[in-house]
Formats: sequence, structure tokens, C-alpha cells
Amino acid sequence: MSAYQPKIVCFSCNFGWGYLSNKSELMQKIQNWIPITCTAKIDPLFIFQAFAKGADGVLILACPETQCHYEDGEFRTEKMVLLLQNVIEAFGIQRERVQIMFARDPEGHDISNLVERMRNKINALGPLPKDIKGKGEYTYGQKA
Amino acid sequence: MAKKPKIAILWLSACAGCDEAIVDLNESLLKTLEPVDIVLWPVAMDYKYSHIHALNDKEILLSVISGAIRNSEQEELAHLLAKKSKMIFAFGTCACYGGSAGLANFCSKEEIMNWVYKDAPTVVNPSGQIPQPKTRINENIELTLPEFYEQVYALDQIIDVDFYLPGCPPPPDLIINAVQHFLSGDLPPKGSKLASRTALCEVCPRNHTKPPRLEIKEIKRVHEYEADPDRCFLAQGILCLGPMTRSGCGETCISVNTPCRGCFGPLPGVLDAGAKGISMLACILKAGQSRNPKKLMNSLVDPAGYFYRFTQPVSILNQKWRRSND
Repeated sequence: MSAYQPKIVCFSCNFGWGYLSNKSELMQKIQNWIPITCTAKIDPLFIFQAFAKGADGVLILACPETQCHYEDGEFRTEKMVLLLQNVIEAFGIQRERVQIMFARDPEGHDISNLVERMRNKINALGPLPKDIKGKGEYTYGQKA
Repeated sequence: MAKKPKIAILWLSACAGCDEAIVDLNESLLKTLEPVDIVLWPVAMDYKYSHIHALNDKEILLSVISGAIRNSEQEELAHLLAKKSKMIFAFGTCACYGGSAGLANFCSKEEIMNWVYKDAPTVVNPSGQIPQPKTRINENIELTLPEFYEQVYALDQIIDVDFYLPGCPPPPDLIINAVQHFLSGDLPPKGSKLASRTALCEVCPRNHTKPPRLEIKEIKRVHEYEADPDRCFLAQGILCLGPMTRSGCGETCISVNTPCRGCFGPLPGVLDAGAKGISMLACILKAGQSRNPKKLMNSLVDPAGYFYRFTQPVSILNQKWRRSND
């Protein structure tokens, strides 16, 4: 049996995470790591597209509460994630597949550990189900 | 006498509201449809599908198709009209985005069948029969029914569509405008949506009552609260999809004191209505100083059904699984 390796997309805020690190080096180490200036910039669309392109989980590394460079970006992201988790559940995607963490790590030492920890959690959930609600075979004359 | 151009009007998985909207053109319907021959209109006239089969390919100028696609009969008809018509016009929200019929995609075929034929409290079905596509009566006779698909499709997921007119149903002015475009040959680019490109808020008569910064501290539902007939719904804490919905509907819901539910679909350039809805609401829901937004966020009942009320089949997450199973 081939080992299932969940694909994790990790967004992190440039103001709190890894800004003192050698980013290109870190990026080679952590696949699908996307530093972004303020996590509130993350459109729910990015997360949907990540799932559509094969991600098994999305991890968002935001700044600690009240420490956002833009006042309340981390709080906005938290609200968005809470709402989004409720929406993806209706599509049959477990809410644990989108997670948000609030902390700081300027050197970026922890990012790969956090992604690894997320990967283990998602590994326990297994791959996204193929027969997700209502999505069965489509047989008759498929559109070219 | 010169031959009139042929038009077909067909409903698929629809409620006939779109056909009703055409009939509601009243006297102007006669004038609008005077220069054309209607070769198919199951709601209003008696025609046989064999007449359509007998036509040459691309003989029909325009096929106006309303409704989503749920079963094999609807798909077959859609393919037939696609073959016989020069242009396909997705008419109404169900044809454009899947519509409210598309909400069924949140349940599997099995769940739907079990509820409708077994579990619903009003059903009496002691032998647990569920309709099958084929039933053999005897050696010579096999009865068939259209196959009920696993999910609902928007029209352009099955056939190529040239133009779209959303709306549940589309309003008369936009219908007449569209028909005039087709008849005059002054056609917009393929794939155009023949409706406004602005958000409903921009034309909403209540827009001037919107505060500079919208903040909702508690979500109120229309049946729990009597809305002020002149104030912005969002300012009153009642959810309204006006900010993320295309205008052009004539503000009919707003004028009867009902918030927008998004039937005109997302604005141009929006890839996923739900994603925009989440963004919008996450911004304006105010959780207060406690910074504990969980309760407020969870107080929105059925968020997926709310954001995707008319667009579930074309949502990114739904399409991913369609592709992976194709």
C-alpha cells in the first residue's frame, strides 16, 4: 500500500512568521508555504482553490491576538475561518482540514514542525473522500 | 414569403417560473415573438420531440433553455437542441448556475431517494420500492424511466452555452432586451450575461440608509423580526446578499420588504459566490470586545445553503468532485 502523504498548504503572515529567515531556503524545505502580508488578505477563494487543486488541508499561521500590524487582521481571519469551516462541512469536507494558529516566529524555525503536525492530523482523517456528498459517477454522453 | 427564424423554448429541471416570465410579457409577447416561428415550447404548445429530430442541424436560430439538468432525459434534450441550434441561451438562474434545484447537491442521490420514497413521514411504501431506470414487465416489454443523476448540473456543464440571462425568474425588460438583440443580430460576445454588471446595493432604494461602517452584532432572521421597510437590511442586522449579487432584477424582493437572496448570481469576475459571501459576512459580523466570534459565526443557520442558494452546482468545491469522477 502506498503511503498516503497529505498535501498541506500553509499561509503565514509576513509580519509574524519567518521574516528573519532565509525565505528561499525555507521554501525549499516546506512545500506549498505561502507567506502573505497579513492573513486577512487570504480570500476564502484561495482555500477553496487549494482544495480543488488537491490540497488535503490548509494551515493558516496568523499573528497573536491584538498584535496585528493592521490592528485586527488576525481577528478578521479567525471570523472568516469559522464561517468557512461551517461551509465546507456541508460539502463533506471535515472542518479540521482548515486550521488557524495564532503565534509569532520571526526566524521561522517552527513553521515546518507545525506543517508536519498538521500533516499528521490530516493523515489520521485520511484522504478527502472521493464519494463526497452527491458526487457520484457521471455516465451519459459527457461534455467534450 | 421569407422564412421566419426558428426558436425553441425548453424547460429542464425547472419550476416553469421562467416560462411564466415569458408569458408575463403579455401583449408585448405577441409583438416580440411575431417575427419568429416557435418550433418547441412544451409549457405552452403541443409539439413532439420527433419534430425537432426531423430538423436539419443548426436550423433553429435560438434555443432558450431554462432549468438545470438532473436526469438523463433532460441531458438528452439539451444535447438535441445543442445539435439543432445556432445559439443556446441559458435562461434563468437554474440554467445559468444550477439554481435552487442545485441545493440538492448537498445530499447524495441515495439520501434523496431514501427520504422521498422511504423515510419521509407522509410516505407509505411497505415494500421499500425505489424507481429504477429499467423495469422488465415480461420477456418482451421493458419499461424505462430517465436516470436520476448523482447531482444537478448547470446547463453549461453539459452543453456549450452562448448567452446567459440569470434571474429567478428573469424580469420582462431584460427578456425583451435579449430577444431584440437576438433578432437584430446585434449580438454581445459569446458567454455574455445579458444583465447589469453592478451590485444590487448600487441601485437599491435603501442604499442611502446604509451606515458608513456596517456592523452586525446579532443575526436576525426575517421571520423573527419585523423589518423597517425603509432601512438597509444589513444595517438592521438582517442578512441580505445585495452587496455580492448582480443587479437588474428590478429590486422586487426589496420592494416587498424582503432581503436579497442572490438569485441574479455573483458579480462579473467572481469565481465562487460562497467565497465572496464568506468574505463579506466575516467582515461585517462584529463580535465585540470579547474577541470570541464563535457564537456569532455559528448563529448563521446553514451558511452553505445560504451562500450557495442559487449557485451550488457551479461552486469550486462541487466542480472539483465532478472532475475527479469524470
